[in-house]
Amino acid sequence: MERYQQADPEAPTVLVVAMSPALLRFFRSQAASREHADDLLQETWLRIHRVRHTYRPGEPVLPWLYAIARRVRIDGYRRTRRVLAHETTVDVLPEPAPRLLPQGPFPDMETLLAALPTAQREVIAMLKMGGLTLEEVACATSSTVNAVKQKAHRAYNRLRKLLDQAQFSTTQIGGGSK
Amino acid sequence: MTCRDIDRALIEQEDPGSSQLPAAVQGHLAACERCQSLVRLLGAPIKDDMPSPVILLRIERSLTKDLRPVRPLRSLSYFFAAFAATFALLVAFGAYRPGGFAILALSPIQAAAILLSLAASVAVLAYSLVQQMVPGNRQLRPMCVLSGVIILLSFLVASLFRFRQELSFWQTGWACLRTGLTYALIAMLPFWLLLRQGAVLSPRVTGVMAGFLAGLIGTSILEINCSNFNALHIMMWHVGVAALGGVIGLAAGFIGELVLPRRSKKNLYQ
Repeated sequence: MERYQQADPEAPTVLVVAMSPALLRFFRSQAASREHADDLLQETWLRIHRVRHTYRPGEPVLPWLYAIARRVRIDGYRRTRRVLAHETTVDVLPEPAPRLLPQGPFPDMETLLAALPTAQREVIAMLKMGGLTLEEVACATSSTVNAVKQKAHRAYNRLRKLLDQAQFSTTQIGGGSK
Repeated sequence: MTCRDIDRALIEQEDPGSSQLPAAVQGHLAACERCQSLVRLLGAPIKDDMPSPVILLRIERSLTKDLRPVRPLRSLSYFFAAFAATFALLVAFGAYRPGGFAILALSPIQAAAILLSLAASVAVLAYSLVQQMVPGNRQLRPMCVLSGVIILLSFLVASLFRFRQELSFWQTGWACLRTGLTYALIAMLPFWLLLRQGAVLSPRVTGVMAGFLAGLIGTSILEINCSNFNALHIMMWHVGVAALGGVIGLAAGFIGELVLPRRSKKNLYQ
């Protein structure tokens, strides 16, 4: 990051290659489609580029980076909401299919995360997919370590219930097919 | 041991230097199927979701296109001092009016309480603004700060001054509001110049805080100059200047939030 601030021409490439997969996973975990996540990723890097001088050498990069990514996601969500509010349906749309957990043996993390409330999802994504510490998540989300712990605890509770549901439906399908 | 203890252990595991679950929770884990599933889920390898090379290339190009060395942001104490100095200068300028020192008519307790509470409010707001200039910084909750300042000032005014009927309540109030708002609007420019040196991630939140701080300049000048000691007048027309400054800042931030994403979108596809 410091090399990037000093305009080392290789620094952006190194940084983009190293951090983009984690940032993309973060956006994907926030229930964004692949295209939307790609858009958010590009926008995040442009914003990082614009405010790169605000990174203070020696400080951890992840909270700084994720705070920007989080803001881009919020702005993206607001923009989408505004666009949707202006769109008018000209025809009767079919009923959307109810969001169900996959019926496989064990649902994956992303599917379960999508069912969590945004604040909890964000915390779990940063902790588990981004590899941030509790302290770093607290900084990135402008909250306290205790608030992060509370959100993680609630998320784990909810995940347990979702896992129960998934296992119950798997058993039901297994029993029905016999 | 309960599932709650497993949660606690899983959360503590996120801290550096504690990668293994403690032995104490292993017993519960062996017996509880629900916790086993949760631990298995959280420990499962993360699906590799790589961005497409085309997008990575596009990002790299846009970043290297105008790559120039940048000087890291100055220390946050510098900005804190700059906010405080701007505040002090503008208040001194606004308060320096011949015969305007109405605060001298107040008792020492009244004057000290009002000035100290204003100084404390300014310090908290300036600190909060400075923290917002750097992403990933610990921040005070904006709503708590704002409501705390309003409650503190209103409580002090209500307890230190008397409420009384006033015939020209609206006329005198309007004069105070106009004076206070003029200084608040003037203060918004240097505040904006300071803030734009950092990274304002949430223009709405930063706008409301900066507007409120600018409004407090108007409030402070009125507290020093205005000879109307009616509690209702002070609450509505002096403290109201700060609140109105916050509303103006919020509106400015809202406009900023609408304009900034469009600008960045334009850059994205250039």
